[in-house]
Amino acid sequence: MSESSPHLVVRGVSKRYGPTTVLDHIDLTIRRGELVTLLGPSGCGKTTLLRAIAGLAQPDAGKVELAGRDITNVPPHKRNVGVVFQSYALFPHLTVAGNVAFGLKVRGTAKREIDTAVERALSLVKLGHLASRRISALSGGQQQRVALARAIAVEPDVLLFDEALSALDRKLREEMQVELRRLLQDVNATAIFVTHDQDEALTMSDRVAVMNKGRIEQLAEPRELYLRPASLFALNFVGLSTRIHGTVLAASDGKVDVETKVGRLSALGNFQAGSPVIVAARPEQLRLGEQGEANSAAGRVRSVVFQGSRTLVEVDAGAGESLLAELSGRDGAIPRVHDEIRLSWPVTETFAFPMEALG
Amino acid sequence: MMTRAAIIVCWVMAIGLALFLLVPLLVIAAASFSPTPVFDLPLTGASTRWYGRIGRLDGFWPSLLLSLQIALFSTAISLVCGTLAAIAIARGKLPGAGIFATALVSPLMMPGLVLGIALLQGFRAVGFTAPWATLLVAHLVITLPYVARTMIAGLSRFDFTLIEAARTLGCTYPGSVLRVMVPALAPSFLIAGIFSFLASFDNYPVSIFLADVRTKTLPIRMLQYIEEAPDPTLAALSTLILLGTVILLFVSDRVVGLHRMAGTSD
Repeated sequence: MSESSPHLVVRGVSKRYGPTTVLDHIDLTIRRGELVTLLGPSGCGKTTLLRAIAGLAQPDAGKVELAGRDITNVPPHKRNVGVVFQSYALFPHLTVAGNVAFGLKVRGTAKREIDTAVERALSLVKLGHLASRRISALSGGQQQRVALARAIAVEPDVLLFDEALSALDRKLREEMQVELRRLLQDVNATAIFVTHDQDEALTMSDRVAVMNKGRIEQLAEPRELYLRPASLFALNFVGLSTRIHGTVLAASDGKVDVETKVGRLSALGNFQAGSPVIVAARPEQLRLGEQGEANSAAGRVRSVVFQGSRTLVEVDAGAGESLLAELSGRDGAIPRVHDEIRLSWPVTETFAFPMEALG
Repeated sequence: MMTRAAIIVCWVMAIGLALFLLVPLLVIAAASFSPTPVFDLPLTGASTRWYGRIGRLDGFWPSLLLSLQIALFSTAISLVCGTLAAIAIARGKLPGAGIFATALVSPLMMPGLVLGIALLQGFRAVGFTAPWATLLVAHLVITLPYVARTMIAGLSRFDFTLIEAARTLGCTYPGSVLRVMVPALAPSFLIAGIFSFLASFDNYPVSIFLADVRTKTLPIRMLQYIEEAPDPTLAALSTLILLGTVILLFVSDRVVGLHRMAGTSD
């Protein structure tokens, strides 16, 4: 099978719990060796989708194919998936090695093979020296690694991570993100992460699926997701932004002129004149001062937050609108609170979205 | 300095209570080795002759056998039924699960005398009078709450994700229950079994209403002995029962830890 052929295919999967639609005709195709994140707020259906792939939740409609076979009606123990749970779900009555060996034992693998596989899996997560420890004697980070080793040991067709890093503290989590990505690439694993943490999604994945209300709003590479959000929800959920309400005045080939309370702005988007829209830009696109053709707006600085490499400046532009700029010290002076300033940003980095209720 | 005084008072209370609980046990053990029929301190020697007389007590062996039978059977049945009930309460989306749980554990809070009379009247009313069987059913009422309570607590600590983890690792559903849930709940099982067995074995207030001349449990027989002939034989028997209990608890402590049995810690 070639590297780029579909490895995991989810086709039209739907799931309802009573009156609520948890998954609404989900389509998702993942290549072999790809790391994909399902990102969204709680209740968006990301965990249910993961469970449907693992076989722990039966979809009402649709199909799941893994490594070329239809597994829609295959029970979880015959799917050959590896799951790392949020609670780790390690077996407390077994040792570290016992946990890692579990999947191979129930498969009836020969003792000698099990021993080498356990050793290899534990050395991958750098826990070889703790093989005979009891689970209760491990720290949270170590338990997380054991859970990973246990899932990897059976050489699954796909690894599924259900909020697997969320129980770790921030520093450890950030280290694990980088380490986990490298490790998964080393063993050429295909993996799906479920998380509500956008940093985790951007750090770990080749592609991110932003989910909302049981649908995938956008499936894109992290960079594209950030620079070209497909919906207001995706824009909001990943990264910060300036958002200004307005009405389309004129439209021409992919560009619109929008009348707003802070002045006339131009943005990318296809709308008819008269449509209510929200105009948005990422904070690092905003610069101090006026620039030729660019959009610009003025206001009074409301707050200045120093965050090390960058400084976030929030500007009250009047009429209930505000601007958010991320300035780096290199560009010159950082304004102070109450300063009257003008900010400008390029039209090509300004997007118009239809005004809709935020999910 | 109030706090210091308070700490001292607490310590004195704790030590005093421990002594209050343990000294009678030591006295009965000492009495069982008394060389004379009348127990008197200080001991003027030691004798084991009372231990030899236990087996010759009138009706001792049938009573011991009966008590062991009832305790074992009621514990075994309670373990099965109580665990299933606990699963339904802890896991099932049973409406009013809390009410069921309270009802199941309620005999623990009921005075034994009331329970005994109620069972006697109830069994009479439906014409259920076979002594052995009525004793067994009555002891089920006594032991079931212990099992239910311990298993509900054990199950509420059990992470059902473990079963899902086992399934994704290649285990069938029944296989996962067997390989993961049973070992994880083994300590709860053992604790429930021990409490249940002991509760049945030394029950007096309920048994007394259901026993007849030929069917007397050991506690009833022992009270009868002490009324007839209060010599150290009974002290010797009590000491043996005490020893048996201590061994049982010691072994369980080796297996699961006493602190878990007392419920003071995970």
